[in-house]
Amino acid sequence: MSDTPVLGTVLRAAGWAGLGLIAVTVSLSDFLARAPAGSTQSGAMLHAPCDAHPFGTDLLGRDMLSETLHGLSQTAFHALLGAAVAVLCGGLFGAVAARLPRPVALTLRGVFGIFAAVPALLLTILAIGLSARFYAPLAAGLAAAPLAFVRAFDHVDIDSTHAEYARATGIPALTLLKRDLTFEFRRMLGSVAARALAAVTIILSTASFLGFGAEPPARDLGLMIAAGKASYLTAWWTAAFPALALILLILCARLAAGLDEGERP
Amino acid sequence: MRRFLARQASGLVVGICGAVAVAAAISAIAEPRAHGALPYLEAAAARLGHFAQGDFGQSAISGLPVLDELAIRMPPTLLLVLAGAVVALLAGLPLGLLFSVGSARRAAAPLVQIVTAMPVFCAGLVLAYGAVHLLHWPVSINLPPGTPVPPDQALQIAALPVLTVGLAGAASVQLALRRAAAQSSGEAFRSGLKRLGLGVFEIERRFVMPQVLAGLVASAGDIMLALLSAAVVAEWVFHRPGAADLFVKSVALADWNMTAVILLVFALLAFFTEFLGRIAGFVLANEGKP
Amino acid sequence: MSESGPLLEISELNVAQDGETLLERFSLRLEAGESAIILGESGCGKEALLRVLGGFPDKNDSITGSIAFAGGESRSAAKRLRPPIRIAYLPNPLSQPFAPHASVLDQLVRIVARKQGAPLGSAREELRLALERLSEAVTPALLDAKPGRLDPVTQAIALLAAVSAGTPDLVLADHAMADLGPGAVRMMLELLAAERKRLGFGLLYVTGGLQPPARLGGRVVVLRAGRVVEEGDAARLMSGHAHAYTSLLFRALPQLSFEAVKPRPARGQPLLQVHALGYGPAPQDSLTFELRRGASLALVGEDGSGRRALLRALLAFEHAPAGRVIFDAVDLNVLSQKMAARLRRRIAFITGTDECLDPRMSLWDTVEEPLRAHLNLTGELIAGYRETALKRVGLASHDGDRPVASLSPFDKRRLQVARAIVGAPLLVVIDEPLRGLDAFGQTILREVLTDFRITHEPAFLVVTSDFTVAQSLAEEAMVFHEGRIVERGAIADILREPREAASKALIEAVRLPALPPGQASV
Repeated sequence: MSDTPVLGTVLRAAGWAGLGLIAVTVSLSDFLARAPAGSTQSGAMLHAPCDAHPFGTDLLGRDMLSETLHGLSQTAFHALLGAAVAVLCGGLFGAVAARLPRPVALTLRGVFGIFAAVPALLLTILAIGLSARFYAPLAAGLAAAPLAFVRAFDHVDIDSTHAEYARATGIPALTLLKRDLTFEFRRMLGSVAARALAAVTIILSTASFLGFGAEPPARDLGLMIAAGKASYLTAWWTAAFPALALILLILCARLAAGLDEGERP
Repeated sequence: MRRFLARQASGLVVGICGAVAVAAAISAIAEPRAHGALPYLEAAAARLGHFAQGDFGQSAISGLPVLDELAIRMPPTLLLVLAGAVVALLAGLPLGLLFSVGSARRAAAPLVQIVTAMPVFCAGLVLAYGAVHLLHWPVSINLPPGTPVPPDQALQIAALPVLTVGLAGAASVQLALRRAAAQSSGEAFRSGLKRLGLGVFEIERRFVMPQVLAGLVASAGDIMLALLSAAVVAEWVFHRPGAADLFVKSVALADWNMTAVILLVFALLAFFTEFLGRIAGFVLANEGKP
Repeated sequence: MSESGPLLEISELNVAQDGETLLERFSLRLEAGESAIILGESGCGKEALLRVLGGFPDKNDSITGSIAFAGGESRSAAKRLRPPIRIAYLPNPLSQPFAPHASVLDQLVRIVARKQGAPLGSAREELRLALERLSEAVTPALLDAKPGRLDPVTQAIALLAAVSAGTPDLVLADHAMADLGPGAVRMMLELLAAERKRLGFGLLYVTGGLQPPARLGGRVVVLRAGRVVEEGDAARLMSGHAHAYTSLLFRALPQLSFEAVKPRPARGQPLLQVHALGYGPAPQDSLTFELRRGASLALVGEDGSGRRALLRALLAFEHAPAGRVIFDAVDLNVLSQKMAARLRRRIAFITGTDECLDPRMSLWDTVEEPLRAHLNLTGELIAGYRETALKRVGLASHDGDRPVASLSPFDKRRLQVARAIVGAPLLVVIDEPLRGLDAFGQTILREVLTDFRITHEPAFLVVTSDFTVAQSLAEEAMVFHEGRIVERGAIADILREPREAASKALIEAVRLPALPPGQASV
């Protein structure tokens, strides 16, 4: 019984440490990378990993290490933006909406519920297709928001007994809302944000893999893996390293969110 | 029981109406005259009227009526989702049940987190790599779409997308199982009944397992969402012609009629699965009986 | 089965967990058919004893000592071997021992079948026979429902039937009748005593309350902090010829006082005026009364007798079908939500299930919330009021940032009182305040509530099934039975001359028989 919290805390700490490391790497990517983003080296096509190119080179002669680092910073930055949008428009809004007058709350729940019935990936693709690609992270955040809204909304226990007693003693609804937000959010903000980060990273990278990513020449990891798809069966390093970087980011975000199985991912 | 049914049914009806309205709105974007708020709303209302008459418009790419095109492309996708669901249950159910038992759950949780941190497209690419290099199977990743497949290779070609979708579904299945198990693990009756004299196995089998399975069935909606998402990726990665792949192409080429109808079909699929799942879960969990 | 030795012999049992000693050098010898009551406050080690005897120790328990059953050879207590005698465990129905989604009957039949090693059919028959003996009202058909649908007393009877259907040699009762209401406790203890006489099993009754030793009598072992303080006959221990701690413990046993009390003249303004309020099932059930400031009223009755329905009508939680309720000269039902909220600030709640506390909030936040929500005070003033209130209830030394969920029931109860004190209420609604507390906790809470009443003079509206609580906190009472008020008046008058059968039953439930020394009551 006493080892679960320890294991949980260790893993959560490992997750946050990983995210911190990624943040440091991303901010130093211009120094760590040997070449600017997208620069090719003629005559160095599809070299296997070696001293000059630790991650190899791809079909066009780009150094995979540099590309991976630049791509990681692109993906991480976009994902962070999208996660912020998802948390604000989804989770926070859902917790507030649950305490609005009942007809309004139920209408909002219905509307968001319709959008939550479509896989977030499809919503993202649609949103990016309808708007300019520049808004890709915003679109991903908005697409992930309905599901977050519905979960946050359903999580608020509006008829809890202690809320009923509080109303019977004249505690105003605003105080009850503040109660919810302070105690739940303060406790859960870290894990909610990390969970949103993981979800938005997956959505964004999948969308850019399918061709709906940010505008080139900015290349994020999904686009890199899509580009590597043509050659990776023979030259595994063209897709493996971006994929590993992506998985590492998602894994650290997931671990930082905690092992709470009662919550959905 | 009746109140529950009525609530779920009304939710379903609201969902369907909303989905149709959204589809009409998306389809109206294609309307050339719809510039400005009022003309757009009028176009959307007109589209809604067309939908009611069964006229879903024409695809801007191929010129064929949308329904005809879907009649060709939807069955392979549905088949893929169904096959993926079967694989998901076969793989996810035993693993999920195994990992939901007490100590195994705590130890397995980090492992499961690591495995499920892989996006679907990465998993698909890994599977293809393994198929080529370990099993020496042919893969359709880099085949131009629509290339005819020799019949003896058809099964191998079809297996990988199914496996990809199935694994994504399995992750969702075992998550639903572990969540249901976590909910029932905190309850006092397990130790209470044990002290009263029942065996652990009997308690688990008769009183815990039905609740866990009911929780799984009630999450059918979530699992369907995961399967649909994975189907889109799998069809794209493995160049399988299907409705999901068509959706991606339609958005890329701004064929909003087609996009709207495919989205509507997927949304309806998700709504109905959730509805049936919730009811089945309700019955399994014995909530209806006094 | 012929036993050459005692049914149960425990020698030098030590139980420790994480370096902390729970039970130290405990020895007990129980003959066949004998009963022993293990009495102590929470944390005295009685739970550890039960765990070891029942064969379900915690993972981190370190156990030394030996146990011998039925005159057999003495084995190490740490080993979990099947004992050669049949041991049955009788839990408290409020500890939720049943799976919530399955029928109680199904679960009990399986338990009996497993204990007997018999098929389900014969186990069902045994259970039916046992239920017939115990109660006419509780039938197998009634039990074929989910536990949430059955009241605790029915579940208690069902559990006792399952235990006796298994024909045990030794019964371990784990606070089996705690918090069931004095009338029900009395009935259940009588049933338990009758079953013991009929089947001749040994009984080890672990309790923190004083009703079981007072009613069952017999041998009592008093535990404190893991050690045996005293052991002896119940009558002697209750009479005061005992160790100081034991005397203190038994002094906590509340007794009804039947003296004539000079009626206190009603002084304050009318606080709660009720005109022809319709509250019960029949249309002629209408109530008219008045509660003045500083006065207090008790609603006395068993669970399900309609007290809470009246309470909800009084406090305008629900719209009553007829009549008016006027709180502090204002009709609550007529006001808008916002205006009613301002009035409602002067009402406080103290409930026995601690459900008015939000488990996520911290200790200090709970006490400060009424001040922050209703008044515009500086942080220092708020802290000052908070400290005063916490000191009054004895929680001042607790860590203020602890979430409420981590507090014990005793601390939560006192926290509710502190929160009420801080709000300076005109009316305090108290609902079964002593539920879930052990003997010492109950005494302290009684003192805290009485102190609160004397210093701040709010009006009390007490809902209880225990006349001793009603007497210590109120002057007037309304007795409820099956949804209707059967008797009203000053408590002293009701106690001396109860007119209705329901009142008599409630008084008898808390009137303890005088146990002659040296004689067990069974």
